[in-house]
Amino acid sequence: MADYANPEVLVSTDWLRQNLKTPNVRVVEIDVDPKLYAAGHIPGAVGWDWTTQLNDQVKRDIISKEDFEKLNSEAGIKNTDTIIIYGDSSNWFAAFGFWLYKLYGHKDIRLLNGGRAKWLNEEGAPLTTEVPKFERSQYKVSSVDGSLRAKVSEVLAASEKKAPLVDVRSPDEFTGKIIAPPGMTETAQRGGHVPGATSIPWATAVTNENTFKSADELRAIYLDQKRLEPSKATIAYCRIGERSSHTWFVLKYLLGFKDVKNYDGSWTEYGNLIGVPIEKGG
Amino acid sequence: MDHSARVYDDITQMFPDEENPSPIVRLNRLVPEGSQLWAKLEWMNPFGSVKDRAAWAMVRDLERRGELGPRRPGRGIVEPTSGNTGLSLTAIAGMRGYPMLAVVPSKVPEEKKVLLQVLGAKVEVVPDALCPLPGSEDGTIGLAKTHAKASADRWVMPNQYANQQNVEAHLRTTGPEIWRQTQGKVTHVFTSLGTCGTVTGLSKFLKAKNPEVKVIAVQPSPGHDVPGIRNVSELDVSQLYDPKLVDEILEIDFELAYTVAAELARHEGLRAGPSSGLIFEGARRTARKTPVACGVMIFCDDVFKYASNMLKHVPGLVAEP
Repeated sequence: MADYANPEVLVSTDWLRQNLKTPNVRVVEIDVDPKLYAAGHIPGAVGWDWTTQLNDQVKRDIISKEDFEKLNSEAGIKNTDTIIIYGDSSNWFAAFGFWLYKLYGHKDIRLLNGGRAKWLNEEGAPLTTEVPKFERSQYKVSSVDGSLRAKVSEVLAASEKKAPLVDVRSPDEFTGKIIAPPGMTETAQRGGHVPGATSIPWATAVTNENTFKSADELRAIYLDQKRLEPSKATIAYCRIGERSSHTWFVLKYLLGFKDVKNYDGSWTEYGNLIGVPIEKGG
Repeated sequence: MDHSARVYDDITQMFPDEENPSPIVRLNRLVPEGSQLWAKLEWMNPFGSVKDRAAWAMVRDLERRGELGPRRPGRGIVEPTSGNTGLSLTAIAGMRGYPMLAVVPSKVPEEKKVLLQVLGAKVEVVPDALCPLPGSEDGTIGLAKTHAKASADRWVMPNQYANQQNVEAHLRTTGPEIWRQTQGKVTHVFTSLGTCGTVTGLSKFLKAKNPEVKVIAVQPSPGHDVPGIRNVSELDVSQLYDPKLVDEILEIDFELAYTVAAELARHEGLRAGPSSGLIFEGARRTARKTPVACGVMIFCDDVFKYASNMLKHVPGLVAEP
């Protein structure tokens, strides 16, 4: 059985339980539903609200380098720390946080395999409502890795030259039957997908325990069935960029794709643009 | 307990059992010729739904085991709920002096969210899943479990999705009631799937009495908007579902839940809620194919809690005529 291309970016719940008090191991929770952190979290974890803390509050963008430094410094996180990220919904926004950390050049960042649900369901895995206090640090971003992020111009170019684009939304969003899942406030003017994109819903990558499927299973899905190629530049997108961070993580770190980008503008940018080509149907 | 005069010292004495069953009423106008279909009116229970049975059984069990009550002062109940279990638990908690925290999905109609507060619950609303999760946790279960685990001194979670008391309640009450009310003549039972306590308990009881009884589950089409019930594809969350106990699963377009509920109100005088509309539609289709000699349909609750949903789904209804 083959291993993941970069197995070091995943930690198990057992590993985390044994390392909760290890110096320089820091835990960060990022959920789709920010209420969860306050209700209970892994001891020592800090919790970030993706709506207010990971996105710029004026323009539509991820937080700036300066704000990212401030966020980490206030949480007492150091550049040399090993950061373990976890969250709800099989780590959707945890994967987004992972992507953000990689974009801003953090060296040692890992995902908790199975996320919040796996931890929650384990006998004796501790949860607390206590919010930890840490001494302020001096977190610095020394480089920004723009190669992990696709802008809309790159998406249009990729579509034009038929380069691989992966649409990780639900099948109904892909075909254009719906523009966004019911009740979502972030939406678009038009439904459908970027011409030439392949539909591979994000959940294809996870087991019933919310953990990632084995390397062999992932290869069978993404390489054999869906015909993606690890050597080709690939872009993943969804609706607002968090589900695509999950697939981006799978392609880049578990399957070892050389060049894979997350298009965080995703359908809420693309589906609102005037004049860009859209494909509907399956 | 003598129920003949309907005089009670305490509302809990009104919880249904074989001696005090919820009524079954024969439908006379909408049923295909040659069949008999009876509706079991669960909204006649003290707090308005079939969930009174499970809620009462689960709370008493927690009290017996010392998880609630004098040995755990200040501890309350937290439960993920689409409303009915929450309403029953909240009413019981109020009488017993326990705090109640109901964690509900955002799709639940406003009426239920307000009623929960009227009865004294604190309500936390969780956004509905964006697209189906493969895991066995949905948002409400995850948040309720988190409260129960991180603040065990404050909250205990009965967990209707895994609590055997939810099955036992129907083995002890609903099953024997139907057997007695039909004088053992029941041939079919039609019910929906949610936590699956009802279908599992009923099926176990009735099939032990007569293995020929057909248990038919009626489910809404995927992507539905009918609170409290599930499509089989969503049943991962329940640990109480046993496919061996269900003879047939019928899938009905979920919009019919609402329009058929209106039909029941207009032609049979039954103020049935949308899940009852769905169940009746399943039963009617079965009866059109083969006569149903004595079918009992579990009508989980009434339509009052769904006025806003009815407005959305039933053509011709207007808020201000």
